[in-house]
Amino acid sequence: MKKDGKYLFAIIVIIALFGSVMIYSASSIWAQYKFNDGFHYAKLQLFFLIVSIIAMMIVSKIDYQIYKKYANLILLGCFILLVLVLIPGIGMVRNGSRSWFAIGPVGMQPSEFAKVGLIIFLAKYLAKNQKTLNDIKKSIFPVLGVIMIFFGLIMLEPDFGSAMVIVLTLMVIIFSSGVKLSFFASLGVLGLIGVAVLIVIAPYRLKRIVSFLNPWTDPLGSGYQIIQSLYAIGPGGLFGLGFGNSIQKQFYLPEPQTDFIFSIISEEFGFMGVLMVTFAFGFMYYQIIKISLKQTDLFAKYLSFGLGTQIILQALLNLCVVVGLIPVTGVTLPFISYGGSSLLVSMASIGIILNISRKNSS
Amino acid sequence: MFFNKIHIRIRCVYLFVIILLIAVIFKVFYIQVFSYDKLKKLSDSLYSRKLPIAADRGEILDRNGEVLATNITTTSLVLIPRQIVDKEQVAQDLADILGVTYEEMYRHVSKRESIERVHPEGRRLDYETAEKIENLGYDGVYLVKESKRYYPYGDLLSHVLGYVGIDNQGLSGIELQYDEYLTGEDGSIKYFSDGQGSRLKMSEVYEAATSGVSIQLTIDIELQKAIESELDNVISKYQADNALIVVQDPQSGEILAMASRPAFDSNDYQNFSTEVINRNLPIWKTYEPGSTFKIITLAASLEEKTIDLFNDTFSDSGAVNVDGATLHCWKHGGHGAQTYLQVVENSCNPGFVNMGLKLGTNTLMKYIRNFGFGEKTGIDLNGEASGILFKEEKMGNVETATTAFGQGISVTPIQQITAVSAAVNGGNLYIPYIVKSLIDTETETVLDVTEKKLRRKVISKDTSDLVRYTLESVVANGTGKNAYIENYRVGGKTGTAQKVENGHYSTSSYILSFIGFMPADNPQIVVYVAVDSPHNVTQYGGTVSAPIAKNVMKSAIDILEIKPSKEGMPKEYTWLDEKYVLLPDVKGMALEEAKKVLKGFNVIYSGNGDKIAYQSPEAGMYIKESGNVVLMLN
Repeated sequence: MKKDGKYLFAIIVIIALFGSVMIYSASSIWAQYKFNDGFHYAKLQLFFLIVSIIAMMIVSKIDYQIYKKYANLILLGCFILLVLVLIPGIGMVRNGSRSWFAIGPVGMQPSEFAKVGLIIFLAKYLAKNQKTLNDIKKSIFPVLGVIMIFFGLIMLEPDFGSAMVIVLTLMVIIFSSGVKLSFFASLGVLGLIGVAVLIVIAPYRLKRIVSFLNPWTDPLGSGYQIIQSLYAIGPGGLFGLGFGNSIQKQFYLPEPQTDFIFSIISEEFGFMGVLMVTFAFGFMYYQIIKISLKQTDLFAKYLSFGLGTQIILQALLNLCVVVGLIPVTGVTLPFISYGGSSLLVSMASIGIILNISRKNSS
Repeated sequence: MFFNKIHIRIRCVYLFVIILLIAVIFKVFYIQVFSYDKLKKLSDSLYSRKLPIAADRGEILDRNGEVLATNITTTSLVLIPRQIVDKEQVAQDLADILGVTYEEMYRHVSKRESIERVHPEGRRLDYETAEKIENLGYDGVYLVKESKRYYPYGDLLSHVLGYVGIDNQGLSGIELQYDEYLTGEDGSIKYFSDGQGSRLKMSEVYEAATSGVSIQLTIDIELQKAIESELDNVISKYQADNALIVVQDPQSGEILAMASRPAFDSNDYQNFSTEVINRNLPIWKTYEPGSTFKIITLAASLEEKTIDLFNDTFSDSGAVNVDGATLHCWKHGGHGAQTYLQVVENSCNPGFVNMGLKLGTNTLMKYIRNFGFGEKTGIDLNGEASGILFKEEKMGNVETATTAFGQGISVTPIQQITAVSAAVNGGNLYIPYIVKSLIDTETETVLDVTEKKLRRKVISKDTSDLVRYTLESVVANGTGKNAYIENYRVGGKTGTAQKVENGHYSTSSYILSFIGFMPADNPQIVVYVAVDSPHNVTQYGGTVSAPIAKNVMKSAIDILEIKPSKEGMPKEYTWLDEKYVLLPDVKGMALEEAKKVLKGFNVIYSGNGDKIAYQSPEAGMYIKESGNVVLMLN
């Protein structure tokens, strides 16, 4: 039905516009300080937003079947880009990870594209092998191998956050395909053993992991960001300090327009702001799930579910970090955090979903 | 249906996502509700920069509210360099106002400190300078209040008041003893700043400083002035090593005045030796009390009824032998036959030896201890000594005998005056005190009043009446007559104690004391005066200390409005200033013998030889005590 697509389109534009406004509020002090222009980030983001919305509308006109056709080629392209970005001189370093290309004035993160490329590839693979999926060794192991290669490449940058989001998303897609639960159980056990081994090798990791439970054990190190985030959320109250009145953005929270923009939202708009943002994401995911469930084409079903899940998992990871439910992973909040390629890819993903909903409405 | 399994799984994922979103909402709710106070406090302290506002120290007042220790308020410049935007301009303006070089001021305004002070040019600014700086109105340039302790009376009462250090902390006297009360709570002006220390456009929070508690003393500053000037006189007149005066209200134990020499100026304590500053002689000094201690022996004897003042007699030959030791009377040749009243009037040592032995060691020592000797009185000042008594089990008759007239033990002035207060106030030994009340400085409400504290009842009221009568008689008729004041009833006792130097009694240094009280029928004040080693004067307590005590009491009459009385004992020879005495017959005596008999007269010799041929005036005449007697020798 066309109606589903309209709601999805509307909520995405609302979230993204709100995001741009919040980027202005969160970044203006820093931007004034660094670039002598309070609108520096806001202007760029607005540009990205317009480009991304146009991209989304274009993508929504492109028949999704084309991705099925070129799935392997797309994946190969992503693979090459991920290898290239690791080469000093080609790939640029940001926040300690060699994760992006500079194309003129804008940056491009290949891991963002790899997210989509892998989802397309997996959707096609699962749709093709749906009948033999319970033969784990034959059908799942090969695809796991592909996933591990990409995971490894992204971890080499290193970009732990993106790698996490990709692996989690792909696992959830495999889960949705109906693979027997015992596979996930043994995968979970395997994961636990892996974590245990890592901790035994270097015990400080445990300390770092649990430091999020009480960030005050290391207030200037690993606990710094989460403490600053709590300082923003805590005093916010029901309605917050009001738009533009955040104190934490005034050089307390580093780069408040990126990973921790949600704490600034919480500081300025309080509990109501938090409710609105979480509700918006919930509503967005609900629309995507509805579209996915309606699909009769298996590839379309997996693709729309996978792209939506990727966005919502990234959002959840970000929110859980910001409110201190999980350790800091370095994931941005889709549509709201500052960042060009992330916004572009997220919008394009929505474009694909919109195309699916239009083509195959039954 | 084919998609069934997939759809169930997708719905599971959806449910899981919704649960996680709700978890995020709950976590935010938890942070904003349950961690709110903690986070608010922590973030507040992160955002705020505090400019301290120094609290005023509580004042110290005399019993009538006269200020003895107060604070001078000054303003000081405080810079918060991170808030100063135009550093060049601010540095230039401040340099002009304060007379500092631009370069130096620029260093101050650009220092990487959260709070910077300009020392010393920016401290204790005068009003005009402060106003100029205030008018600049720059962010990051502030004036804060500072307060400095000030003692308007300088060296008056300095040992009692003490002094404060550079940070207004009490270092001696009341300032130290009551430091926690006097110290106020500093306030602050709270500014909010961003992560780089720049000032945020948020309202300041002003937390007022709370002044310390003010302390009202029992001291009467007018009386204090009187004793201080007496001390100055005695020091300049006699070049005494040291001297002290204490005035107490015997009915409560309140100290009305207390001072000693050498003294110091609390405003300027750095220029005095710590020895002078730390030794508050009235409570610190211990020495043999001498004859003033006889009051205790008298009180004990009267309470135990071992003597009858008026009917029992004692014959003094000038010396008494106790267990082989000869104890002399201060008067050569002795006082002859006397009633015990006269024994006291004459301060006759053998008479007191007799009284001590009649009491016995244990009874005498029981009274001495009951009167508070041998332990601290508990006065609310620090640095009090406890004195030394003989150990009872090691005391023989000799020790008992000397103790009875005030030798061989050591006591503090505060013990002396407190014990005598008890002897004359009806027999109540009070704990002496100097802090009358604690007063909230801002609201002027009284927070706490010191009540008089009875330590114990030491003698009966009847005995105390007799002690007062006897001591009034000492002033009217005996050794204390230099303290007599017309139309007022004064009681008292002199004391002349040889100082112990290197374990031996000194032959030249004495501590001359007098303890007096008035009115003798219902004492309002007890005055104790002790002068250590005066020069150029006959070293008798009656000649040096009694007149001082008299002056103090005369001042007290005006200051405390003590009523005159016509019921007092008439002073012996009140019709003449000087005492007239019967001139003894020395005709035919050897020269040396005659000199001893005529001690106290001004003897003029004529002719040569060692026998007296003739005397003028003739024997049997009354002449002035120190009058001229001409002797012809052959």
